[in-house]
Amino acid sequence: MGESYVAPVPCGDDAPKLTRRDRGRRIRSGAAALAATLGLVVAACGGGATTGPSPSGTAHRGGTLVLVGKGDVDHMDTASAYYTVTDMLMRAFTRQLVAYPASNDFKTATTPVADIATQVPTKANGGISADGKTYTFHIKKGVKWDTNPPRQVTAQDVVLGFKRLCNPVNPVGAPGYFEGTIAGFKDYCEPMLKIDGTVDAIKSYIQSHDISGITTKGTDTVVFHLIQPASDFLNIMAMTFSSPAPEEYLNYVPDSAEFQQHTISDGPYRITKYDPGKEIDLARNPAWDASTDPLRKAYVNQIKVVEGLDPTASYEQIAAGTADMDWDNPPPTAQLAQLVASHDPRLEVGPPGSLNPYIVFNLQSPNENGALKKLAVRQAIEYAVDKVAVEQIYGGPQFNTPATQILTPGNAGYQKFDLYPTPGSKGDPAKAKQLLAQAGYPNGLTLKMIYRTNSVHPQVAQTYQASLKQAGITLQLIPVPPSDFYSKYLEVPSVAQQGVWDIADPGWVPDWYGNNGRTMIQPLFDGRTYGPDSTDFGDYNSPAVNADIDKALAAPTADEAGKYWHDADMQIMKDAAVVPVLDQRLYFMRSSRVQNYIVSPFTGDGDITNVWLK
Amino acid sequence: MATGEPVLAMERADLELGGEVAARGPWRLAWERLRRDRAAIAATAFIVFISLVAIGAPLVAHLTGHPPDAQYRDTGLSINGIPVGPNRTFLFGTDELGRDVLVRVAYGARISLLVGAVASGLAVLVGIAVGMCAGYFGAAVDNLLSRFMDVILSFPLLLFAIALVTVVGPSLPLSVAIIVFFSWAPVGRVVRGQVLSLREKEFVEAARSVGASDLRILAVDILPNLAAQIIVYATLLVPLSIVFEATLSFLGLGVVPPTAEWGSMLAEAVSYYQVAWWYVAFPGAALLFTTLAFNILGDSVRDAVDPRGERMFVRG
Repeated sequence: MGESYVAPVPCGDDAPKLTRRDRGRRIRSGAAALAATLGLVVAACGGGATTGPSPSGTAHRGGTLVLVGKGDVDHMDTASAYYTVTDMLMRAFTRQLVAYPASNDFKTATTPVADIATQVPTKANGGISADGKTYTFHIKKGVKWDTNPPRQVTAQDVVLGFKRLCNPVNPVGAPGYFEGTIAGFKDYCEPMLKIDGTVDAIKSYIQSHDISGITTKGTDTVVFHLIQPASDFLNIMAMTFSSPAPEEYLNYVPDSAEFQQHTISDGPYRITKYDPGKEIDLARNPAWDASTDPLRKAYVNQIKVVEGLDPTASYEQIAAGTADMDWDNPPPTAQLAQLVASHDPRLEVGPPGSLNPYIVFNLQSPNENGALKKLAVRQAIEYAVDKVAVEQIYGGPQFNTPATQILTPGNAGYQKFDLYPTPGSKGDPAKAKQLLAQAGYPNGLTLKMIYRTNSVHPQVAQTYQASLKQAGITLQLIPVPPSDFYSKYLEVPSVAQQGVWDIADPGWVPDWYGNNGRTMIQPLFDGRTYGPDSTDFGDYNSPAVNADIDKALAAPTADEAGKYWHDADMQIMKDAAVVPVLDQRLYFMRSSRVQNYIVSPFTGDGDITNVWLK
Repeated sequence: MATGEPVLAMERADLELGGEVAARGPWRLAWERLRRDRAAIAATAFIVFISLVAIGAPLVAHLTGHPPDAQYRDTGLSINGIPVGPNRTFLFGTDELGRDVLVRVAYGARISLLVGAVASGLAVLVGIAVGMCAGYFGAAVDNLLSRFMDVILSFPLLLFAIALVTVVGPSLPLSVAIIVFFSWAPVGRVVRGQVLSLREKEFVEAARSVGASDLRILAVDILPNLAAQIIVYATLLVPLSIVFEATLSFLGLGVVPPTAEWGSMLAEAVSYYQVAWWYVAFPGAALLFTTLAFNILGDSVRDAVDPRGERMFVRG
């Protein structure tokens, strides 16, 4: 993969720019709230499936769905939008060649199906070439832009969507996905990032340059030529970045204020009002033909997003029924206990699938004679950590599962294993001590841990301190400002080399689920990407894992890729590069009139195009 | 009120008895007044009690069997991480990490009293030094130091503290430094005002005429005359410092976890008050009663030293 790979989703509250920060933010505040107030046991959440009420009664069309929350979208342009709330909104006014269906079954909800494409390309239907390097999509007739008059979405629009990704003003946040798969994308992209950010310069570059790996046949067929087979290519095509763009978009600087007032929809809704930071209104798009769209039922007539409300205010509006769904504020601390205690059906719980938090070891630290370079020391810490204690901080077993590996259930390559089992996942100090003695630290050692001062991070840090203490490891806690945690500590190699920190507790949420090694294992453990801004925070570099990553990314099928992802997962855990601590779920609040609330694992939010109002 | 009546009665009694007439200095009189002030006695008793708790914090930990940082995840927390209420094992309940609130309140007293004493002591010392220089030397020195005090008094205190902690990182010595920095100026102003009038007094003139040095005049002639004001001020500064320190810790700018401290306990307890009243109640009560006791004592000392009730300059 190219060296310009940009990590998709460091999560946690304060992820670096260009990431899906809202997801992290939701986890953060949600966890804090949960930790604070869960009094009683909630109804068990179903295994791998997302929970959601089964629709009661018949679906009703009409009404205005009101979402309330604090922040705004990050961008209104599909080329740069990367927040989860933005993805949630974009489902209403953008469409992709393939997209994820709304489903309570995790496997179904994470497998792309045809959206504006006539069918999902496969080798069987000839959409994917025998060598797995060519993908052909045909665009459905009747998928139209909301222009005057409505105009058919064409293959050229799809190409334009990709060509706009590398505009120098608001480029795509995850170029690595495209550079690493589509032939010629990098060659097209790199010079474009250096041109002037004017309408004319961007327009003339787009009109005079082509991405060699994306070609069209007629107006309804688009063909992608890949560098090598990529079994997760459809997942990449299902990202909002991969949306087609109408030619009118060439008349604006990407995602400029003017652009934001002139979005053109091919989805069931169109934006009728956008007042940044205050309000977003959507109404039905007359150009949308329901028969072309199997994914969005579009029951409600209007969608209104009201911004600038704090969590308590938005909770109260939803509880009172004057608003329907939370936009970016999960239910606050004070009220959550009651929701949980009363088994309130308005509290919705999302799917598992994150690695949040985990402990990363600084493998370059010189402290204690380079203790963390020794496998036995890292393994000792694997045994020493009391994961149930951290689970208590994050709200208990209903919302968390102790993690024992990198890949989570439901994802390609997941095979359950636990190399460092401890009784009840509560840690095994005796075993840890024994390993430390073997490593030459019979009297224990002292390590430095940096932690963020916000949310529950201080509590989590103290819990690690307490459980490692029982194994003879003294953790020296060093508070750091949340905004500096990644940018000035974890992502700076010189800080790691000086031994400013030995361990830290970042979090990670993948960009998609299912066949997602490219957004889990690769960014976190591909040692060849180490350097400034790398998300391989600890400088883990294993030739075996790197080889597995290469093989997995080039594997023709998800199943085959899964084998390599599993091998990488196993090797990483054998090397004890990190301590997986928890796999967390998100949770949400909806009003009682909202029916058919389905959490999309991809957007990490409820699906506004499929709810209906009682 | 409380001081005036008994003193008069006592003095009348002395006269009526016609017994031994002893000369009683102002300090003796103040002490007599203070001793008869029930509020002062109660406040002092509480201060002594909380000081004993602070000193004996390890004993509290020993008696309960709960070290201050030990986390009782099974007995002290629900499965969802909710603290358990007061019971036989945990008299004051537990916090969000399953630690004994009683033991942590006791350990928190150490920080509060230590910071209260050290910070107000240092602030008074700095205030005396600067105030005396300004008042005694006058002219340019006074101008410079007085403006400096004005600058300090007009500093946006919390903004400054937050910015500083962000740069340097939180620690106890830093909290003390911040408190001293913001507390000495009012003392300095009061001292300066006193010294301005004292230096014109005859006994100062006399000392100067016999060739006493400035240092000697300041230390021997002027300083003792400031003692009453300084004692009052120091007593009132202690609770201010305790609250200030708790505020800094509440904002995450004070002690570093897992050190137990009342302000940081309250900060953590805020999100639990609906499900764990004890977590907010006990550290809150400890902070409230300690500052109240110091304030009452301070008021009583002022009344005793200055029975006519002339209020000194009090920082707003």
